Amino acid sequence: MIGVVSRLRRSLWTLPLAGLAAVLVLGINEGAYHGARDALTGLGARRDAQAQIQTLLRRLIDAETGQRGYLLTGRSEYLAPYEESLKDVSATLRYLSAYYSTDAKMAALMKEISQRSLEKLSEVGTSIQLYDAGRHEAWRSLMLTDIGREKMDLIRKLADSLLTNESARVGDARNELSATLRLSRIGVNAMAAISLLAFFLFLRQTTAFDAMQRQLAATLQAERDRLEDDVAHRTADLTELAQHLQTAREDERSRLARELHDELGALLTAAKLDTARLKRSLNTMSPESDARLKHLNETINEGIGLKRRIIEDLRPSSLSNLGLVAALEIQAREYTARSEIKVSTELAPVALSDACQITVYRLVQESLTNIAKYAAASAVTVSLQRVDQRAHIAVQDNGRGFDVKAKRGTAHGLMGMRYRVEAAGGVMRVTSAPGQGTQVEAWLPALSEPDAD
Amino acid sequence: MPSVGYRGYRFEHMPVVNTFIVEDSPVILDNLVAALEELAPVKVVGWADDESSAVSWLTEPANECDLVIIDIFLKSGSGLGVLRSAARSGVRGKRVVLTNYASPDLRERCAALGASRVFDKSSELDELIAYCTRLGEEGGNAASAASN
Repeated sequence: MIGVVSRLRRSLWTLPLAGLAAVLVLGINEGAYHGARDALTGLGARRDAQAQIQTLLRRLIDAETGQRGYLLTGRSEYLAPYEESLKDVSATLRYLSAYYSTDAKMAALMKEISQRSLEKLSEVGTSIQLYDAGRHEAWRSLMLTDIGREKMDLIRKLADSLLTNESARVGDARNELSATLRLSRIGVNAMAAISLLAFFLFLRQTTAFDAMQRQLAATLQAERDRLEDDVAHRTADLTELAQHLQTAREDERSRLARELHDELGALLTAAKLDTARLKRSLNTMSPESDARLKHLNETINEGIGLKRRIIEDLRPSSLSNLGLVAALEIQAREYTARSEIKVSTELAPVALSDACQITVYRLVQESLTNIAKYAAASAVTVSLQRVDQRAHIAVQDNGRGFDVKAKRGTAHGLMGMRYRVEAAGGVMRVTSAPGQGTQVEAWLPALSEPDAD
Repeated sequence: MPSVGYRGYRFEHMPVVNTFIVEDSPVILDNLVAALEELAPVKVVGWADDESSAVSWLTEPANECDLVIIDIFLKSGSGLGVLRSAARSGVRGKRVVLTNYASPDLRERCAALGASRVFDKSSELDELIAYCTRLGEEGGNAASAASN
């Protein structure tokens, strides 16, 4: 059943079939209605006909009764029912003849009844005429012939036959009507059942559709969750990688700086000391050797200067030597000397891990570089302070600013800063708007304050 | 003080400047000792390559010196810590700094911690030698005694 139903539901023929069924049921119902109406009308006509037959009989009996009353008493009031009957009988006969004219068998019966009725009436009329003429023997012998009674019996028999026929016809009509009604009932019931089935299927389909929709939504959601998860994982991986690279880079720079300082620096200083001793040991030098020695000294000095610049660029020595505040102050002074942009500092000592110190130092360095490159600022403020368990570093300029949300073409420096800050466990914020200057801020985890010394 | 070669000859009339050196680079240490002892009336009486051993030598009452030459970058600890400890514990000898990072700030900080002079390792070696020589001329032990 379910199989059939589902096959039917899926079939292309479902809709045309449903339409056909509806038309069929509609046709049956309409046909039944018309059939029933015709049958009812027919039944009414037959009832009328039966009544007319009864009337005919009664009128004939009335006529006979009137005749007998008149013949016995001679009082003319007995003739009134007879004359009444004459009119009614002919009208009734006309009606019945017309009614049965379409039915050959009934028409034959009817013809006979008409004939016998007219004969009966004529027999009654004849006896009355004989009475009026005073021929009493004649009407008495007419009455004694028994012709009247025989005629009447025949008429009754014919009428009964008609009525029986008529009853059979009525029975047929009833059967037909009930068949029509049964058909109509079947049709309506079938239609109702089909409607119920259709409604059930519709509900089922709707439920199934809803379930499918829900499942689809769930699948989509799951897929989206999975993708988001993927993105989150990859972002985390990338961030970790970037942080690792940042740390590795800083470590590598530190190592390079240390080696340059320790090894190369020592060698250069040793060379310097050697030139000093050489100069002293060669008490009297030719001007040429003197010039050569001077040149050697200068060359060594240049080497020392170069080494120092490289080291300072790799890792600010002031940071490890003098601490963050001094290193930042030196940076600010040197920056002012280099760029002629005034840098004011409001720096409070905050205990920070080495990594955080480098981060702060580089953040200020990068910010100052950006300001020199893009901001066209005339004044910069660098501030460092402790806020609860964190160090707050801010670099604020009064330059032209930029739209923070705009394209990130030149934002790689900022992005690098942000990575660096986040790698050190902090957060960074850039606040800027065109014409409003720029503020770069970061909060980094501070160490608990050591004893002041 | 027995001395060898012309060094003895040149500076035998001068008091010897007993010097303690804090320097973590063996290359520089060797060359510095040799150069100072050759070019100035200096006798290196000891050396250290990190902050803690330098401080323990300096704060040992049996150890005396007229001059302490301190590098800022050390194997462990910092020359600044050595200066601070020396100032606290009342080391009698003069303290000078020999560094690669003789920035104005560093000079200031070192001065604040009791350093007499700050010499740049590359550009002011001659000045260091001259300073040591002058210290010897001024009387070495006597000078360090007077400074206290």
